[in-house]
Amino acid sequence: MTRIRYSVIAAILMLSLLIVVASLVFGTESLSMLQAWREWRAQTPLYEAPTLSILLTQRIPRTLAALLTGAGLALAGCSFQALLRNPLATPYTLGVASSGALGAWLAFILMDAGWIGGYFLGAPSVQCFAFLFAGADTLLVYLLASRKTRTSPSVLLLAGVTMGMLANSGIMLTRYLAAPERLMMMDRWLMGGVDVLGYKPVITLLAGVAPCAVLLLAQAAKFDQFGFSAEVAAGRGVHVGRLQVLTFLTGSLMTAVIVSEVGPIGFVGLIIPHSVRVITGPRHTLLMPLSVVVGGAFLCACDIAARKLLPGETPIGIITTLIGGPFFLFLLMRRKFTDWEM
Amino acid sequence: MSHTLEANAISYAYEAGSDVLRAVNLSVHGGKITGLVGPNGSGKSTLLRLLCGLLRPQQGSVMLDGRPLAAFSGKERARMIAFLPQSVNPAFSLSVFEVVCLGRYPYTGVLGALRGQDLEVARRCLRDTGTEELHSRDFMSLSGGERQRVLLASILAQEPRLLLLDEPTSALDIHHEAEVFELLRRLAHQGYGIAVVTHDLNLAAQYCGALILLSQDHTVLASGSPGQVLTEDKLSAAYGAVIRVGTHPFAGTPLVAAQPMGGAQ
Ligand SMILES: Nc1ncnc2c1ncn2[C@@H]1O[C@H](COP(=O)(O)OP(=O)(O)OP(=O)(O)O)[C@@H](O)[C@H]1O
Ligand SMILES: [Mg+2]
Repeated sequence: MTRIRYSVIAAILMLSLLIVVASLVFGTESLSMLQAWREWRAQTPLYEAPTLSILLTQRIPRTLAALLTGAGLALAGCSFQALLRNPLATPYTLGVASSGALGAWLAFILMDAGWIGGYFLGAPSVQCFAFLFAGADTLLVYLLASRKTRTSPSVLLLAGVTMGMLANSGIMLTRYLAAPERLMMMDRWLMGGVDVLGYKPVITLLAGVAPCAVLLLAQAAKFDQFGFSAEVAAGRGVHVGRLQVLTFLTGSLMTAVIVSEVGPIGFVGLIIPHSVRVITGPRHTLLMPLSVVVGGAFLCACDIAARKLLPGETPIGIITTLIGGPFFLFLLMRRKFTDWEM
Repeated sequence: MSHTLEANAISYAYEAGSDVLRAVNLSVHGGKITGLVGPNGSGKSTLLRLLCGLLRPQQGSVMLDGRPLAAFSGKERARMIAFLPQSVNPAFSLSVFEVVCLGRYPYTGVLGALRGQDLEVARRCLRDTGTEELHSRDFMSLSGGERQRVLLASILAQEPRLLLLDEPTSALDIHHEAEVFELLRRLAHQGYGIAVVTHDLNLAAQYCGALILLSQDHTVLASGSPGQVLTEDKLSAAYGAVIRVGTHPFAGTPLVAAQPMGGAQ
């Protein structure tokens, strides 16, 4: 049993590696890695080395952005699910992603109007606003659903979905108010895309995702305890209150940074943990690290599809939703309702 | 070395103004079983939560071997004291063995990795509670009584010195209930200190060295040996009902029964 499990995991890791390589190779035009290597060895200046230059300035940053985004969203999904003890909690169903997106847009509008500068409270305004909104959303949803001793999962999800809708109508409003020349960019961003150029977005993503991911991964054993029973966990020395605050903050921060950089990309935080759980079982010590890998690889694969599916670029958010939506409905059909009476 | 957990005049209120416990004194000694009894809502579960540091008393103090409980780190405390709550509701399903392995948490590092020795302890605890044959079953699919025994195994896997058990036998049949109390007695002989909440006054009388009787007004109405605590007037006052006490047919300990309201016999 465990041997089969580990071979499946090994196969997944191999496949992920293949996807990453494919993501470097395939695009509007396929790149020959051999050619890029020759250009590198010959120390050709970049402007005379077309293959190497596309690889370095487009494919690698883009692949890294997809990996970081997918890994971060999958891990955020895992963490929210663990914390709220509910398999449907994700950055999207809780409204965190939409609120973050609203915050990011508000920052753009305010910057256009000259009300705020590029930095706010010492952080880049866009990320800062995204985080403030995402954090406020999480907190509000949580408070709405919590009673003294327990949190109601159904209230939580309904509150989250409602907050998400409110945030979306807020986004519509900012869209309505935005300068016409912003609209094109705004619409493109709202559909999500990891088609970054250069390394600046990658560095922002890395700075936001990596520390949060390390922190969250370090909570895996505590999530196992907490998921089994909050009281038993506390008895075994898990500081439940601290765990909740830390997860809320890091989960929201990570989501906010991702959303503000690549736009809202739906369903990754839902389908990846669910699929990975089938292989690893519910224990977070295995589930969370593997979700990071699979999430990254999944978004990479979606991004390859985004480049190849239609002439031009298909927004990646549309692709993940087209895959994730039916998957979600499939889950709804398959699950026993008693599973949710938690 | 034998360990002692002591509560000195602790009071607690979930909401300001309505005390759930008032000035309760209690000690749990290595080698002894202390029974906590009293009517529903009298504060027994709350008392256990205070004793293991999940709640902090608003007045009074809880000391472990003469040191304030709050001065211990979480894992340090969990290696000394294990707490079995009245009920658990897992958010996901685990196998019985995985559940027992969760008990090793206080001995693991950040990654939560288990060593061979941890698995060995988990296996031993399954044997001790007579649940080896459930080893690979899904915990959620067990009967209420089977769950309680597995939970007890997972608490024992913490290898604590003191056990705080909240109604560990409420779902057990009479045979398994007696088995669990026998296990507790063996553990006490090995030096464990045990505090157990139970509604089964007759078993409490047989197995507990000392009893604490909480009353509906959230104070300790009586404490001492079962013979001292389990008397008709004390029990009737605590439960607000007519309680009769006789003698157990073969254990010789008090035998308690409630007389139904208006049921003249
Ligand atoms: N988390 C809580 N918040 C507020 N009040 C609580 C909480 N837990 C318990 N109470 C109240 O405190 C009182 C004591 O509860 P506790 O659970 O300690 O009783 P108990 O003696 O264990 O009862 P039982 O025999 O039914 O298990 C009850 O009135 C209960 O309503
Ligand atoms: Mg109770």
